[in-house]
Amino acid sequence: MADKMDIDTVNGEQKEEEKTGGPVAPTEKIISTNFALINQAVDSFDPRFTLRALRSIATLRKREDFAQALGAGIRQAFPKESNNARRVLEEMLPESVRQQQNGSASASVAETNGKKDEVEVVEIAEVWAYLGLLVQVYLLDTASHQAGATFSLNLVDKLRSFNRRTMDPLGSKAYLYLSLFHENLAPLPPSPQSPVLSLRPKLLAALRSAVIRNDSDTQAAVTVLLLRNYISTADITQADLLVAQTQFPATAANNQVCRYLYYLGRIRAIQLAYTEAHSNLEAATRKSPTTGAAVGFYQQATKMLIVVELLMGDIPDRATFRLPVLEKALAPYFKLVQAVRVGDLGGFVKCVDVNEGRFRADGTYTLILRLRQNVIKTGVRMLSLSYSRISLRDICTRLSVESEESAEYITAKAIRDSVIPDSRLDHENGYLVTTSGRDVYGSTEPSEAFHERIGALLGMRDECVRAMRYPGNRNREAGIEAQKARERERELVGEVLEAEDEEDEEMGGGMDGL
Amino acid sequence: MAEHELYHIIHQLEKPHNLQQAPQLLSKAKLGLLHIQALVPSSDTTPQHLHIATSVLEHGALLSIRLKDTEAFTRYYQQLQPFYSLPHDRWQRDKRPSNQSKVTGLYLLLLLSVGDYAGFHTVLEGLEMSSGKKQIEKDELIQYPVRLEQALMEGSYDKVWGETKGERVPSAEFAVFSEVLINTIRSEIASCSERAYPSLPISNAKNLLFLDSEGAVIQFAQARGWVAKEGRIYFPQQEAEALAAEKDVMSSSNTVIENTLGYARKLETIV
Repeated sequence: MADKMDIDTVNGEQKEEEKTGGPVAPTEKIISTNFALINQAVDSFDPRFTLRALRSIATLRKREDFAQALGAGIRQAFPKESNNARRVLEEMLPESVRQQQNGSASASVAETNGKKDEVEVVEIAEVWAYLGLLVQVYLLDTASHQAGATFSLNLVDKLRSFNRRTMDPLGSKAYLYLSLFHENLAPLPPSPQSPVLSLRPKLLAALRSAVIRNDSDTQAAVTVLLLRNYISTADITQADLLVAQTQFPATAANNQVCRYLYYLGRIRAIQLAYTEAHSNLEAATRKSPTTGAAVGFYQQATKMLIVVELLMGDIPDRATFRLPVLEKALAPYFKLVQAVRVGDLGGFVKCVDVNEGRFRADGTYTLILRLRQNVIKTGVRMLSLSYSRISLRDICTRLSVESEESAEYITAKAIRDSVIPDSRLDHENGYLVTTSGRDVYGSTEPSEAFHERIGALLGMRDECVRAMRYPGNRNREAGIEAQKARERERELVGEVLEAEDEEDEEMGGGMDGL
Repeated sequence: MAEHELYHIIHQLEKPHNLQQAPQLLSKAKLGLLHIQALVPSSDTTPQHLHIATSVLEHGALLSIRLKDTEAFTRYYQQLQPFYSLPHDRWQRDKRPSNQSKVTGLYLLLLLSVGDYAGFHTVLEGLEMSSGKKQIEKDELIQYPVRLEQALMEGSYDKVWGETKGERVPSAEFAVFSEVLINTIRSEIASCSERAYPSLPISNAKNLLFLDSEGAVIQFAQARGWVAKEGRIYFPQQEAEALAAEKDVMSSSNTVIENTLGYARKLETIV
């Protein structure tokens, strides 16, 4: 799996480089282009430029000269060395980067000095925030978690005080890194003393201000981070309360929606609301990217989905396990599904024991333990399908149950739960009798299945329609003005021509002016 | 001064015959705790106070079980939670509160007996996270409700019966729940039997339902609306099934109509 992911990442990187317009643009160049993008974003109040700048973070952090380029970028943005903002950022970088190249730096500084002087102090705030993000990424990559945690706390406080809408995409990312740093500090969660607990009041306050300021990016990101926080320490009730009390913004970015659905599905699965969990996790898998560096999320969500499907009594489709991106990750789950499908209790227990570490790391261990009764139910169902009459003693041996009485009770319960709806128990002779199966097509099952699928597809269509975007207002206004100007010109031309020549003119009619 | 009083009260609570006076003693103890600011653990509560507070609350919890006051027990459990989640180094003498597993086990059992499986699993998940699997497996007081839940979910009620019968029960307080549990499984078995058997001889029913005598069986049967004739019990299932089949046709045509109208409406919006 690691190999596959690397290959995919390299592909993604190449695509990114093509986008920035050169075969291999030097790192410093990328950072300066991003400054320009951010300035443009502030001018036009359009978040898409900021998003484009943020997208290049993935490529930047893999470059070896990231730290130097970052230092150069800081110097370029804040040419005065005494600038407080610059000092805060530089503190985090290693010494070598700071002292470096006074020669080359001064040359480029001289050129850009003229331009930068025109830039107002206000706009540099976004650039400062962007550089702060890059510093966070750098600290995360060098695993300096403690320094990163303190730096992030300061950064986040400063960002909150700004209250600028153009800062929102940057702010939401800052919270993400803040959370990541705290998760890596000892003692690690799920210990109840983990520092993530200290993070909760901060995140809650951030959520409040995000909602008040109508900042849907930060609201979505912080809600997701809070849920992740609660789940990591198994505070499911608190997570549930958060979900009940808050509203997830409908205009959030797709990746946040994916994450939210995933965490929500996990909470519901623990609370035994399997149908709801299933729909959430299914939506999460559908919306998540299936290639590139983010394929890990898809794997994780699919693992959860498989376990929930098993808990609901359905067997997941075998084709999912064949997908190349999923094959290795889902290997233990495949064995699990096999054991459950056949009703093999011994095999199930063995599989769980062997893969215990894996399951625990995925957070699915406790859910899988609950599968024990599913194995038994499936076993009973298999038996009732294959035998028209089978003695309880045989059931007892097949299911590896201890006693005949247990087998009897289990079968009775299975009958009541409609696992084997057409059966009868004969107590005196100790038999389970199955009457002939019903005709599925004669019941309403096919129409219900169709209805579900149609509903899902219609829902998807509605979402697509809502997500369509049209060219911005500004362009439209410009277009309308241009059209009006054209019409006036035409009228003038028409008058002139009419004055000259009072016969019929071909003017193209009024069809142009829509 | 308050500590001495508290020690005194704790001593009194531990004496077994003081059951009736227990509530008043407990209220006095809680007041005392408030005086020394130990009812809720803060960062500067001394280990000694922590011990006093936990023992008072734990005694309160156990006594409310004996008095069958489930609300009070839940309250004590919630109050004990912040103490249980404190890190190990706050407890000076390297000894965690002795009754922690007992109280947690009892709470799990309470959740089981009211049928709150979601709560049960949530608490269990939290336990696994904080203490790790090994410790939980060795802990008999917690394994008892876990085993019970497994047996209940599977449907092997004879296992449940065996567990609640005397010797397997870990301690006296757990026995209080046994009765409730037995009633639960009896009604479960009854509803299963209704669907599974066309009819049952009364002697077999006696064994299945863990009842003591045939008279009890007949009483039970009448309470659930079964017909007892000639030494057999007949379960009323055919009518229910017929009704279900009929309902199927009528209601399904309704749903089909509704669905189709919905499709037509949606299709119209697709230009």
